[in-house]
Amino acid sequence: MSMEDYDFLFKIVLIGNAGVGKTCLVRRFTQGLFPPGQGATIGVDFMIKTVEINGEKVKLQIWDTAGQERFRSITQSYYRSANALILTYDITCEESFRCLPEWLREIEQYASNKVITVLVGNKIDLADKREVSQQRAAEFSEAQDMYYLETSAKESDNVEKLFLDLACRLISEARQNTLVNNVSSPLPGEGKSISYLTCCNFN
Amino acid sequence: AACARSGQRVLHVDSRNYYGGNWASFSFSGLLSWIKENQQKTDINDECEDWRKLILENEEVISLSKKDKTIQHVEDFCFGDQDSAEDVEEAGALPKLPVFGASGAEGVAQESEKECPPVESAVPEVESAEPEKATGTEPASAMEGNDTEITSENESSHSAALGESTLESGKTEAAPSEISAQEPKKITYSQIVREGRRFNIDLVSKLLYSRGLLIDLLIKSNVSRYAEFKNATRILAFREGKVEQVPCSRADVFNSRQLTMVEKRMLMKFLTFCLDYEQHPDEYQDYENSTFAQFLRTRKLTPSLQHFILHSIAMVSETDCSTLEGLQATKKFLQCLGRYGNTPFLFPLYGQGEIPQCFCRMCAVFGGIYCLRHSVQCLVVDKESGRCKAIVDHFGQRISANYFIVEDSYLSESVCTNVCYRQISRAVLITDQSVLNTDSEQQVSILTVPPVDLGKPAVCVIELCSSTMTCMKDTYLVHLTCPSTKTAREDLEPVVQKLFNLNTEKETNNEELEKPRVLWAVYFNMRDSSGVDKNSYDGLPSNVYVCSGPDSALGNDCAVKQAETIFQEMFPTEEFCPPPPNPEDIIYDEDEIVPEESGFSNSAETKPESSTEEGSSGDSTAVKKEDNEE
Repeated sequence: MSMEDYDFLFKIVLIGNAGVGKTCLVRRFTQGLFPPGQGATIGVDFMIKTVEINGEKVKLQIWDTAGQERFRSITQSYYRSANALILTYDITCEESFRCLPEWLREIEQYASNKVITVLVGNKIDLADKREVSQQRAAEFSEAQDMYYLETSAKESDNVEKLFLDLACRLISEARQNTLVNNVSSPLPGEGKSISYLTCCNFN
Repeated sequence: AACARSGQRVLHVDSRNYYGGNWASFSFSGLLSWIKENQQKTDINDECEDWRKLILENEEVISLSKKDKTIQHVEDFCFGDQDSAEDVEEAGALPKLPVFGASGAEGVAQESEKECPPVESAVPEVESAEPEKATGTEPASAMEGNDTEITSENESSHSAALGESTLESGKTEAAPSEISAQEPKKITYSQIVREGRRFNIDLVSKLLYSRGLLIDLLIKSNVSRYAEFKNATRILAFREGKVEQVPCSRADVFNSRQLTMVEKRMLMKFLTFCLDYEQHPDEYQDYENSTFAQFLRTRKLTPSLQHFILHSIAMVSETDCSTLEGLQATKKFLQCLGRYGNTPFLFPLYGQGEIPQCFCRMCAVFGGIYCLRHSVQCLVVDKESGRCKAIVDHFGQRISANYFIVEDSYLSESVCTNVCYRQISRAVLITDQSVLNTDSEQQVSILTVPPVDLGKPAVCVIELCSSTMTCMKDTYLVHLTCPSTKTAREDLEPVVQKLFNLNTEKETNNEELEKPRVLWAVYFNMRDSSGVDKNSYDGLPSNVYVCSGPDSALGNDCAVKQAETIFQEMFPTEEFCPPPPNPEDIIYDEDEIVPEESGFSNSAETKPESSTEEGSSGDSTAVKKEDNEE
């Protein structure tokens, strides 16, 4: 990862109940495919997709939960230094919507204050099994000050839009921050990742 | 975690509701709950014994301990202004989240549970469903209402705009007027509580040697990508009642104003010698039988240089460290210098507690299943073979596996009767200033305070600033650690008194004014189960491996070595934590994820649920109980 091949790098983190289609969203977006009958997520740490927005290369690092959400055992470090969170529920599953407040609590606890949160209702291809109305979700997201979108990873509806809109917002946010050059508390991500540093020796 | 990486199926069960056991970090309110938990002496009464019927005739039971007894003598003190402390809530604690949609209302009702003790809460909300059910169609149904937070006190729900809520919640109480400009640095207890989530307070205080085993492992396994680090910025010494900065790199030595030209040359000469002392045996072999301190006295070094080298660079004991050990320690320090900065140490942002979590993340990425708040009643041992076959959890469910890793703290007293534990004395302080103020207030410092009485252990002090993401702005988090000789407070309070001002504002005399004020403090003793020989545990089957809690050393080498040893014993032919495939190189088949290298033959096999299924003791199943590191 050399510095030249992108203008921005953002870490986007997916959360939400197990089985709502988080991995499918990522794979639809990064690889353009919809894996049918996928089990729990294994072996995938994060996926990367570089997109171009207004001539600028934006590298999106999209992190998946690694299945730790199943027993509500997500590590706090998962949330650290995320630039954006995609909170996902399944529109055909009331339960996954009802758990959203709990997820929000986790976000509040561990994520940075400046994180952008997007609420995503997935699986709109299964509209006949819908249990969560669009209006309820819209009201909820408004009250929580979140951006809201319904998607279908299967039909690829709104998936592209979701990530590209998010990238746009992240860019404008990043611009503002550099302009304001805020002197407040240090942002997460300020520390260095050890593997990228070079070595030099005493003597 | 290493097990999962090489394709083993791993289930990690922990009765606590946080990661990392005694390696964990807490927010301020989380730490307060932890303190409360450990001050309660009441034993958990043994409820139903229903699970006993799951034990077959040819099997025996080794019960596991229900209460973690590794923490003792917890005492906490508050020195800050407590005026409005009683009714303060942590920022973001709004009474309750409005629930949209009528049917949603009952679902979240349990959220407002005020107190959810972190350990051994039997999680009554969970239907007695078996965990693997959760992998089926309705994954979350069994999890409803579980409080997943580490800090459950007072934080019942989410508030809309996070950043601003800090200010908002101030409205609910008599906002302390000191916040105004006249005394900008004065922090009250209520502010600490309100900004509680800014704290990440470690139970163990360690630093990473930048050429230590942990760094090597982090880089090799690529777990380093999950964490960020900061270089410790300075090494301090405590001499003749004063805190001084120790010059240790070449640049430091030349820039130092406290050393004379002659001293600079002496020090450089000595340090250069230490770097390749093995090449010059003639220089030290006469002193191999004496202590390092005695050796230093012969090296034409001034007393202050001797002090620096002995206590701050080698960080060894004056009375019982041999010359060779001292030279080794000095060399290790020097070799670590300059790799990432001007001191040999790194500190993980958000605290040491991140490290175990990072390894857990790697494990999960490779299929490990994590169940927090899930305790284990006993190990089931086959009488004939003497091997452990399964565990029984608190739902009375049997989980079979081939290998078991148990943390020492879960072993009952009967298993540990012959084990002699050492103890670690710990203190954590929140202070208002650094022990040595300089132009930059953002410093990560390590200070070794030599023992008052010879023969006692030196105290290691690590001071963290707010940019390490472990404490709120304008405060410092100070960790004191030493091997115990008495209770933590008896061991450490003398040092705290020397370095800090423990008085409240009014009674402070002039001499004390220069010292940083302690706003809040806690002392506790932690069991040091490192270095316990496996044979001293009574009657453990050979396929049960014990991993110890944290040791008292500054680095992490001990834990890494131990994890690697256990791994090698279980899987002698596998590599320990090999580097993962590059995410961009992973090849995806139809609906199956196959990393380039072996280890994952078939997704059906690696599906984690099979490891929890009763009776499915596949060849590669490893049940891992609370392996804290790696």
